[in-house]
Amino acid sequence: MLSVSNISKSFDRRTILKNVSFTLNEGETVVIMGKNGAGKSTLLRILARIMACDKGEIFFLNNDLLKGSPSVRRKLLYLGHAPAMYTTLSAIENLKLALTLRGTPMDISRIQDQLKYFGLSAQSDDPISIYSQGMLQRLKLAYAELADWDLLLIDEPFSGLDTEGIELVETALHRWKELGKSIIMVLHSLSRAEEFGDRILHIQNGLIE
Amino acid sequence: MFFTLLKKELFVEFRSREVTLSMLVFGLSIILTFAFSSNVSPVIIANYAPGMFWIMVLFVAVIGVHRSFSYEKEFDAFSMLISAPIDRGFIFLSKWISGFIFLTIMEVLIIIPFFKFLMIDFPSQPWVAMGTTLLINCAIMAIASLVSGIAMRARLSEVLLPILLFPLVSPVIIAATKISGSIMAGDPYIFWQIWLLIVLTVIVIFGLVGYTLFDFITEE
Amino acid sequence: MNTFLNNKTNRLWFILITAMMVFNVWNVIMNTPMVPEQHWAQKIFYVHVPSAWVGFLSYFVVMIAGIMYFIKKDDQWDDVGLAAAELGTVFMALVLITGPIWATPIWGQPWIWEPRLTTTLILFLIYIGYFMMRSFGGHVERVKRYAAALGIIAFVDVPIIFVSVKFWTPEIQSHPQVEMAQQPSGILTPFLLSLGIFTLMYVLMLKYRIHVIRINNRISADV
Repeated sequence: MLSVSNISKSFDRRTILKNVSFTLNEGETVVIMGKNGAGKSTLLRILARIMACDKGEIFFLNNDLLKGSPSVRRKLLYLGHAPAMYTTLSAIENLKLALTLRGTPMDISRIQDQLKYFGLSAQSDDPISIYSQGMLQRLKLAYAELADWDLLLIDEPFSGLDTEGIELVETALHRWKELGKSIIMVLHSLSRAEEFGDRILHIQNGLIE
Repeated sequence: MFFTLLKKELFVEFRSREVTLSMLVFGLSIILTFAFSSNVSPVIIANYAPGMFWIMVLFVAVIGVHRSFSYEKEFDAFSMLISAPIDRGFIFLSKWISGFIFLTIMEVLIIIPFFKFLMIDFPSQPWVAMGTTLLINCAIMAIASLVSGIAMRARLSEVLLPILLFPLVSPVIIAATKISGSIMAGDPYIFWQIWLLIVLTVIVIFGLVGYTLFDFITEE
Repeated sequence: MNTFLNNKTNRLWFILITAMMVFNVWNVIMNTPMVPEQHWAQKIFYVHVPSAWVGFLSYFVVMIAGIMYFIKKDDQWDDVGLAAAELGTVFMALVLITGPIWATPIWGQPWIWEPRLTTTLILFLIYIGYFMMRSFGGHVERVKRYAAALGIIAFVDVPIIFVSVKFWTPEIQSHPQVEMAQQPSGILTPFLLSLGIFTLMYVLMLKYRIHVIRINNRISADV
């Protein structure tokens, strides 16, 4: 469903990704691992069309992701380090906006249910600027549950969470796998990578192994 | 989609009021500076008033448009917009129109202090003055939003924005000063129609160019 | 690594254009008639106008390169854009220097808000910003897209700037070169010749500059 060929990216002429190519099959979970600064997050952001790559091609569901129309990225969801939401808006407002922009507007009751499940219902009307790292992480998970996607790009889903939160992530990941959804995930812990990943890609010196 | 984005711009601003408020306070301090630095006869000030007004608007627009783009970088919020399956040209349009609205609000609030502090008379054709001012705001914001979109991810964006914007916007400033000056002097329309034409040209051309270019420049 | 002049065609053009330029200077000084009221000052127009023409041409090339860069997403076009922007700015600087040299004796003051000269100045300022963006804007890869966009909007703005400056100061007379076409052939022919030679020189300079930029990129990439 996703085929990446010869993606290169440099920052100030220092090569971060050098001709990275890989493919992802339907329903597969791929874990990307590598040292800090190896280019894992960069790769995810390029796939999400948030960062421009220097060269290369990406095909998603048989459409050109880089040159095609915006609707090609409809079934793609990116959850990065930062929440990618507005600090002055509340959790509900942010989710409502994000879902509307994805073309799947949703009524508030469904959003509230999901926030309740992730333990955020008490703060669902507060601006997210006061949220802790763990709460933001939960908010992102709620977003992933609500949004309609075929491929999820998720950057370190376990970071900043308490044990309860970690369980929530694990349940969610297992459920998505059962539903046959595809996931590309950046992880640091090898044991988790082996637990969730069908395949592990190591990025080293800009190359994928 | 455009209305969703525009609603978001207005709603975020309604929540924080940071763009309009900083524009307003900055505008007031500029007027104060003008009043102090041009302590001469009202006749002379009346001649310079249109220029002063548009200089103030231009400075204030820079503040506003910079703020409007830099809050997008907090919590990486801009990613929500650019990774969404929407035409990125709409992001430009929403920034442009919201900027236009904020600038107009600022002017509505500041126009009385401006005339009263500088001790000049109100124009004899207030509706014409308002209508042309709206069009000029629209033109200034078209260029400012586009340049700000280009500069937002750059280092030194707060320096680069005015450096790039002021020369690019110079035709609009010339036209604005001429239009306002003519209206203040009560000249007939035929005298300043060319300037209105220039303002309209800027709106159309920069609107189209901004809409087209935004797809290429918003990515990190 | 090949130097620019190792290439036979480049060498031929270099020699040819140098010879033409020397001839051009000699021709302008010795063979063109004196304009009565302007005396020697008028001679600068054989440099001033071709510089302006080449400068605008160069900025036009920047715009085309910017558009092509966005369409093809190929760094080759960024090299062209950068080279053309540099050359355009050099020639614009020449215009801004030679203009006042002519204006001081003729108009009695170095600067008058003449439309063409003003447009040149505004464009020059936009391009100062362009180079600031290139050098301080951040990663070279990211800045390329911003530079391409700027090159496009700068040139799109040119006609608007020109028209607005023209109507801003209608009392100021235009340059005499507007009437160049009505000049006796004693002036017109060497003028057109100079224009042609400047254009050829520009093309060669552009080629050379792109060559240097590419070598520069290759060296920086190897480090």
